[in-house]
Amino acid sequence: MQIRDYVLRRLLVLPLLIVGTSIIVFSLTRIGGSPIGIYLSHEMSQDEVAQLEERFHLDDPLPVQYLFWASGVVRGDLGWSGVAAAPVTQVFPTKLAASMELAIAAAIVAVVLGLALGTYAGARRNRLPDHLTRVFSISGASMPLFWFAILLLIVFWVNLGWFPVGRSDADIYGRIAHPTGLYTVDALLAGDFAALRDALWHLALPAITLGYGATAIIARMMRSSLVEELQEDYVDAARAKGLPERLVLKRHARRNALIPTVTVIGLTFGFLLQGAVVAEIIFQWPGLGRWMADAVLRGDQATIMAYVLFTSVLFLFVNLAVDVVYAYLDRRVVLGE
Amino acid sequence: MADIPRRMPVTVPTVDSAWRVRARRWRELLGSVLANPTTVVGLVLIVGMLAVALFAPAITEPNTPDPYQMPRDWGALNVPPGSPGHILGTTNTGGDVYYGIIWGARTSLRLSIIVVSITVVVGVAIGSAAGFIGGKVDEILMRIVDVFLSIPELIFALAIAAVLGPSFRNIILALAVVFWVKYARIMRAQIIHVKDNDYVDAARVIGDSRLRIYLKDVLPNSITPIIVQATLDMGHIVLVGATLSFIGLAEAGLAEWGVLVSEGQAGISAGRWWASTFPGLMVFLWALAFNLVGDGLRDVLDPRTETAR
Repeated sequence: MQIRDYVLRRLLVLPLLIVGTSIIVFSLTRIGGSPIGIYLSHEMSQDEVAQLEERFHLDDPLPVQYLFWASGVVRGDLGWSGVAAAPVTQVFPTKLAASMELAIAAAIVAVVLGLALGTYAGARRNRLPDHLTRVFSISGASMPLFWFAILLLIVFWVNLGWFPVGRSDADIYGRIAHPTGLYTVDALLAGDFAALRDALWHLALPAITLGYGATAIIARMMRSSLVEELQEDYVDAARAKGLPERLVLKRHARRNALIPTVTVIGLTFGFLLQGAVVAEIIFQWPGLGRWMADAVLRGDQATIMAYVLFTSVLFLFVNLAVDVVYAYLDRRVVLGE
Repeated sequence: MADIPRRMPVTVPTVDSAWRVRARRWRELLGSVLANPTTVVGLVLIVGMLAVALFAPAITEPNTPDPYQMPRDWGALNVPPGSPGHILGTTNTGGDVYYGIIWGARTSLRLSIIVVSITVVVGVAIGSAAGFIGGKVDEILMRIVDVFLSIPELIFALAIAAVLGPSFRNIILALAVVFWVKYARIMRAQIIHVKDNDYVDAARVIGDSRLRIYLKDVLPNSITPIIVQATLDMGHIVLVGATLSFIGLAEAGLAEWGVLVSEGQAGISAGRWWASTFPGLMVFLWALAFNLVGDGLRDVLDPRTETAR
């Protein structure tokens, strides 16, 4: 019951946080002045500019403008994206699908690689693999993503020619239908294995880049909780009854070590969200992050506002989910004692 | 309040001033920090980086009129590393990569010191107000902190810097707006924890003013996690700042590592790897150095996080 109260309380605060965030996002973009610039052209007269201002309520006081904007957001109107030359809501789903595909791939890389590395190092504590993993984990927090991406490009694209840049080969991409917008899934649905290979081939480098930071965090957490678990009595008991070390690790220690690691996996979501901007720029990935970067450089306020609001709300929900999972696991630990 | 002991101990230690005690503790602390080899590696790196930043004008001839602008050698575009006069090569606009690395250290030092100073002062002030005054003030300040924390930091900073317009000054401003929140949160938690100590009650009983209690007893005993966080942020802020300038939010031609990586990016498809590789390596080493030292400090200062090694 405690957990339900906790979740309910968090859910009640959530709308307040979302409103607070939207106020910040709105006032933030207005510090830079009126967003009229992107709608203007050189041929417009003073009158036409005034007309435009009236049409978009830009001549009203700021709180009134905020209400117009917020009610638009609620109705699903996020304004006109100057960069995409289309309404934000019209472009959003395609870009979101591209970003989601990359983020999911990166998450898979991070979880699989992170858990494997952490287990490998934890089981070989204070030996060479452990030291190497520690170096890898520590450098994960210090690695500039943009630099890591460029190093990968220099080695695997320029010199070895193993991987391409961009999201797809235009010919292969064009010959299948795209009902979900996720290229890999669409290729599977179409039963086109050449397209699937093309999709995965393009995904590899950006997914590794984006997953790097999260891999380091997961590996570090997995390693230290495994080391802790291996010192527990039940591990000695399992060894004493003659279980091979491999099974002690797999059936006993690793399962328990996963509990704290699962919550860390949720927290690394922030990495994926933020890293996406840089990874998408460098690998020319047509997702939300690259759109945001373009919008930033060209002062496209509607896009910036939509993007910041979207990522913040997503971030809020994920953090809530992580906290709930954590509270749940925490309770179980307490009850189990 | 704890019970007052009935009997004084038989041997009364000589009474040291609070400052003497603190100085001794810091000396001991330094000893245990230096016992960790990775921390020492980080410290050596930091000293090296700081030396480069401070002595930049002596290492390379400052560009005139603005030394923070890259000098352009239009007669030597895209020359590879090892060329005479350009040991690390040049960019496609004739910018000397070596110059950019040296003066980039100075730019990074400026960035991190300004942002860390502002955010620590603001964060400590707001966190202290929330924790020490409590009640409504605490409630309101912490809700504001929650809202700030709900926007991912890089994206928040990116949006602010974008709205203010592309310039290095605005990157500094944007990072300052985003990064104070962590300190406010840490400080508030610390103060609430420290406030309950007997020595604070004792000071109140003696009749010390609230300000005096805060300055003399609460603040000095709450500050260590702030020091750890500030050390980590000295590296982290350069990392985020370089990311923003890489995206294109600093002035073009600034002697800054992120700008240089971005300038070099155009050439990598033609095999010109150097203009991006060297400055990126500097960002990595800078962040790594402060992370190593920050982690080492945390292990020593905050025994709770000490896990099985």
